Amino acid sequence: MKKYLIATALLLSSTTLAAAEGELFLYNWGNYTSPEMIKKFEDQYGVKVTITDFDSNDTALAKIEAGAHGFDLAVPSAGFVGIYAEKGLIQELDLARLPNHANIAPEWMNVAWDEGRKWSVPWQWGSTGVSVNTKVYTGDINTSAIFMDPPEELKGKINVIPEMGDVLALATMYEGGEVCSEDPAVMKKVRDALLAAKPSWMAMDYSTVEKMSNNDYAATVDWNGSSMRARLGNADVAYGYPKEGFGLWMDNVVLLKDAKNVDNAYLFMDFIMQPENAAALSAFARYANGIAGSDAFMPEDMKTAPEIVTPAEFADKGHFVLACSGKALEYQTAIWTELQK
Amino acid sequence: MAERTTRRGGKSFSVTRLPGFAPIAVVVFLVLYAPIATLVGYSFNASESVSQWGGFSLHWYGVALQNGEVTDAAITSMIVAGFAAVISTLVATMAALGTTRRGHVPGQTVIYAMINQPLMVPEIVTAVALLIFFAMVKQATGYTGLGYLILAHSAFCIPFAYLPIRARLEGMDLSLETAAADLYASPWQTFRRVTLPLLMPAIFAGAMLAFVISLDDVVITEFIKSPGQDTLPTFMMGQLRRSMKPDVNAISTLLLGVTLVMLSAFFLLSRKRD
Repeated sequence: MKKYLIATALLLSSTTLAAAEGELFLYNWGNYTSPEMIKKFEDQYGVKVTITDFDSNDTALAKIEAGAHGFDLAVPSAGFVGIYAEKGLIQELDLARLPNHANIAPEWMNVAWDEGRKWSVPWQWGSTGVSVNTKVYTGDINTSAIFMDPPEELKGKINVIPEMGDVLALATMYEGGEVCSEDPAVMKKVRDALLAAKPSWMAMDYSTVEKMSNNDYAATVDWNGSSMRARLGNADVAYGYPKEGFGLWMDNVVLLKDAKNVDNAYLFMDFIMQPENAAALSAFARYANGIAGSDAFMPEDMKTAPEIVTPAEFADKGHFVLACSGKALEYQTAIWTELQK
Repeated sequence: MAERTTRRGGKSFSVTRLPGFAPIAVVVFLVLYAPIATLVGYSFNASESVSQWGGFSLHWYGVALQNGEVTDAAITSMIVAGFAAVISTLVATMAALGTTRRGHVPGQTVIYAMINQPLMVPEIVTAVALLIFFAMVKQATGYTGLGYLILAHSAFCIPFAYLPIRARLEGMDLSLETAAADLYASPWQTFRRVTLPLLMPAIFAGAMLAFVISLDDVVITEFIKSPGQDTLPTFMMGQLRRSMKPDVNAISTLLLGVTLVMLSAFFLLSRKRD
């Protein structure tokens, strides 16, 4: 009994005592950090890494904003990096301490939310497109028409993920507008098209991996990683990159303003930009990473995966879906509300 | 008590004899237990999928138990729930004694309501309030240990421990305590030798209930946990966002098992009357 009491007492006090000694506190999405890669980092630098999970960008932001959170690094999505910077929650990076910064692939260096990568480094990225069961429908799947203007074979078997930003970005690009369009004429077309398409949909649901594998859905709006997992369960599933424009997203590592273990945080950010370690991250989370040269270290099934390696012909069709604001957000919310009825 | 009245009135009126009772009861139990039964069943699934059956296997229990994050989260959960149960039961016992072992006090209902505040205030409100409050305390003191979680859990567990203890105290025969006092027992002796032994089953029951309530909490924990303080439920929440793997079923089943054992103990203890 006494032993347990002492153990608990130690546990209660441990976080305060050990702060100075080779520690690093990472705040990340759950089930997103490769344990093997963390082990390697810990062995290499003698730093103990503590990972804490969050389940949404909003929870993470709320906790960090409240202060005294105790984290050194966080991994917000692209649209949130700017908000962190604006609110003064993160520090500008000292690039001299990140020799591997040069490994960031050119297309991920000057991104809309962080010109020159002075505030954030890449973690993982992916796309939003469509998954189709090619046994049910044999036509062209690289189009948003799959859910916006569905072919006869797919009607009544289509799912749309309940993510306002992603779905409206696809729909707006399909109607010839830009992501976060504020043009009332375009948004009117988007609204009419979505409402006209809705009767052909079967559901608006997140569980696409399961239900595409089971043949419950014949098509769905989908993220590339979950499409890949669905294909591993059902070889008929294929991922389409809508040629009218598909969505892109990226999660990024940021250094928090009140980080206590700044040196270790720099070591870690540099470490994950080494191609080999970036590949280890991808092997676990099943998304691409944005580090040049990491392909060589990727697991075989990802090197060639059509969901992970964007075909060259569609490379310029991807557009980032950042959080829209003002009028654009008003239109989107109004359309989305109407769509949910 | 409710049990007794229905049993006594059984001859003249019984809800079980109303038309449609059986089908409604079956549907209710099905809705309550079918999903849980499915989850438990699938925790023994051999396949990689959460919902496609691939044969019986204990594989995912092995995966869950070998996962360092799972065991860490389980240990955190147990420590927090253990401390929260002890602290909240202590406070609840004192509160129950204070509210029952004395004459009527004006404003009694207000006092009850104040003690049971965590039952009425939405959890998310408490969570946000604690997040802001504890952030200020953390900044002032620099302490980031498990103390915050234990304190918060103790607070919202109090009514769950308080209710069974108060019920027991109200049902106890006061003449025993009066008799002890008549026989020159000091107030402390009366409490130690008469009240406390009679109250013990309710105290244990309250502690079990508090333990289970603390073990299951997600919202408040998610908001006030410091780095590395994921409990089993918050760890599971994080898993759900990405790809669900069957080890979540296994962990849920284990958690369910612990809860069931504790709740059975609660019912056995609270049934043991006089």
